[in-house]
Amino acid sequence: MSASPMARHVESKAIPIRRVALNDPSELPHDYSTTPGGTLYSTTPGGTKIVYERSFLMNLRSSPVARTPPKFDIPESLQKGTPNKSPNRQPKTTQKQTPKKNHFKNNNVQDEEQFQMDM
Amino acid sequence: MWGCTSATKMSANSLENENDKNDKQEPEIVDTIDYSIKHPLHNCWTLWYYENDRSNSWEKNQKEIASFDTVEDFWSLYNHIKLASELRQGCDYSLFKKGIRPMWEDDANIRGGRWLINLEKKQRGNDLDRFWLDVILCLIGEAFENSEEVCGAVVNIRGKGDKIGVWTSDAMHSGAILEIGKKLKERLRIAQKVTIGYQVHKDTMDKASSATKNSYTV
Repeated sequence: MSASPMARHVESKAIPIRRVALNDPSELPHDYSTTPGGTLYSTTPGGTKIVYERSFLMNLRSSPVARTPPKFDIPESLQKGTPNKSPNRQPKTTQKQTPKKNHFKNNNVQDEEQFQMDM
Repeated sequence: MWGCTSATKMSANSLENENDKNDKQEPEIVDTIDYSIKHPLHNCWTLWYYENDRSNSWEKNQKEIASFDTVEDFWSLYNHIKLASELRQGCDYSLFKKGIRPMWEDDANIRGGRWLINLEKKQRGNDLDRFWLDVILCLIGEAFENSEEVCGAVVNIRGKGDKIGVWTSDAMHSGAILEIGKKLKERLRIAQKVTIGYQVHKDTMDKASSATKNSYTV
């Protein structure tokens, strides 16, 4: 992904580790090649699954890369902050527009062309 | 500094240390995250959006929005699109492994079925977005032991009650299906006493949707 500005500054780092607490023997994996709670990534060539815990994924949510607007072409009606074009029903969604979830997103929302509507 | 700390921890990362971590919430994760790399996903996933436009065929209304195969690209997409609860009635989001279309007819789905979570109207305000995000995180994080059986997931925004379905590839694979169902319930924190059902796509096709029988329940 050389499209990412971050990718050009990659330097080698220690492999991240993750601790998994087991409360019951039944939570142990069924085979010896799997670590508890999933597999550690980038281990066996062609081998194990890349597994991410919820908390790990959530922590990446506000990482700098994750906050950059997507490189994808998102239809305007799907972009955050645009009103729903509603042929039949009045959406109650527009005024509900996530004031509570916006703390860290506020910055990017401003970056978006949120008032550009297609009529 | 962080680098040193994690190196020490790595060498000390033995099972004996696990017990005293039990009571700590999400231990050790924050300081080992490397923000300078993109984290690869096991699969490449495609987000689809369905808009109910009567002048178009159902298939035409199903639009491929984007595919991603890193955690960061997922968040960058998710952070910039509407939440499920912000969509209009009649719309869907679907997230499927790349190459699988979000329809029964696709080869990957045709013998399969779905775990179905029916939400009450009032749940749109609180549970819907949380459920949908948690389902996505289960998918892209490969949370299920049998995650190779998972094809994707769909959220339907409907006036009579929203629905979330997790689609798997083979309705005969009962072991895998039950494992996925149990895990799903656990991850969504659905109360033990609430049952969710698995419906075979063939049955859904044959009958009026709401009357479809459950082939499995958890």
